[in-house]
Amino acid sequence: MIELRNVSLKYGEKEILKNVSLTIEDNTIKAILGPSGVGKSTILKLMLGLIKPTSGQVFVDGTDISTMKESDLYPIRRKMGMVFQGNALFDSMTISQNLGFFLRENLNLPEQEIQERVTEQIQFAGLEGYEEQLPESLSGGMRKRVAIGRALIFKPHMILFDEPTAGLDPVSSKKILTLISSLRHHNNLGAVIVTHIIDDVFNVADCVAVLYKGGIIFDDVTGKLQGSDHPFIRSILSDKILEL
Amino acid sequence: MGHHLTLRLKGFFLTMQEFLFFSVRAFATMPKIRRYWRDFLDQAAICGADSIPIVLVSAISIGSLLAIEVGNLLEDFGAKTMLGRSTSISVIRELGPLLMGLMLSARFGSRNGAELGAMQISEQIDALRAFGTDPVAKLVMPRLLAALIMFLPLTALSDFAGLHSAAYMAEHYHHLDPGIFWNSVYPRLAMKDFVVGFAKAPVFAVIITLVSSFNGFSASGGTSGVGRSTIKGIVVSSGLVLVANFYVSKIVLENM
Repeated sequence: MIELRNVSLKYGEKEILKNVSLTIEDNTIKAILGPSGVGKSTILKLMLGLIKPTSGQVFVDGTDISTMKESDLYPIRRKMGMVFQGNALFDSMTISQNLGFFLRENLNLPEQEIQERVTEQIQFAGLEGYEEQLPESLSGGMRKRVAIGRALIFKPHMILFDEPTAGLDPVSSKKILTLISSLRHHNNLGAVIVTHIIDDVFNVADCVAVLYKGGIIFDDVTGKLQGSDHPFIRSILSDKILEL
Repeated sequence: MGHHLTLRLKGFFLTMQEFLFFSVRAFATMPKIRRYWRDFLDQAAICGADSIPIVLVSAISIGSLLAIEVGNLLEDFGAKTMLGRSTSISVIRELGPLLMGLMLSARFGSRNGAELGAMQISEQIDALRAFGTDPVAKLVMPRLLAALIMFLPLTALSDFAGLHSAAYMAEHYHHLDPGIFWNSVYPRLAMKDFVVGFAKAPVFAVIITLVSSFNGFSASGGTSGVGRSTIKGIVVSSGLVLVANFYVSKIVLENM
């Protein structure tokens, strides 16, 4: 379980997040919806301890990570998998090397087990036959699937998606959303999806938090979003894709 | 105006603080070298073997040029037999290491800045951290150690090439007997001449690697941001190499 408790974040004079409180339960898919540049990706980085809050606390499985040293954070981060918006694949490595990289780096596993886990993710992501290709030779949707496979390879409790369908064509977007939905059956994995596309929320999320002007204005099950009378939520429900 | 200056000063000191922490971390992760020995070997090849051509070009050009110019000057005083002494001191103590430092700042530093900057803007460095790998240990420490080790033989190679090109020019341009040239080199070279020259190699290695890597890690703002951080890394490390060149010479010569 991940919990943000009264988290605020400032960059210089600019206040990005104001007193944000959020809980992400295990085995649920939670979306964080908001317009571009509102601080959604920042929330994911806070959950991983990649940045520290100006005030407030971030708990991962009951442990406050907001004041932890970088070296103490590494084992906690391995409980979560992260799919970056631009995928962040290592462009000089093949797909199978990308998938196996962090296992070789961080876990003292026998090579045979690493190969088995890589093969498992290749199959899960439907990338058979592309194992020895470089990321640049794959389509955007395939690269995203590699990134998801890489995030799953540690067998995390929670997986964090930063704009998983941004920039993808409708067919690839659908494949990615199907893949995310199938995570429910994948070791009871929980997920956080940061997005500005409201259809993604209705397609995969069990619950949703709406971030607006640095604060949470809605946090409930997805079905109740349409009943909200907040003017911003009413406007996004009619526009579907959020723009500032 | 005053507020703007205060903000800039605050920003400068914050950057210095971050650079200090970054540098300490790069040294503190050195015990992990056994884990990253492949990265170390890759970087050793890049900053060592691959840098040989540029180091040879700069050493040969500076050795030849010094021999011609200093030889012309000494000829006016009838002291051409001192050519070996004059050029060897310049090559070994000062210009050889300095030019090598500047060349490596341009070559090795720019590569570090661009490569790490590209990794930073494509979130690959964040990905390393997110999946539990220390990016400084993985990306910076092997570069630092490789530079610390490889800059020493490169300095020796630079000295060797610089001196031999000077000897060649002495013989073929100034028609000085090679025996006279080398006789004025070897017996007069003191230990401090080598200490001055070789002490610069690790200092330059630290400056070039840490400054360029730090700027790569700090890159932001897309591809133009990578360009800016790479240029900044080269300019700052080259400036610091010039300053360090002076102070290493001063400190060693005053204490030996």
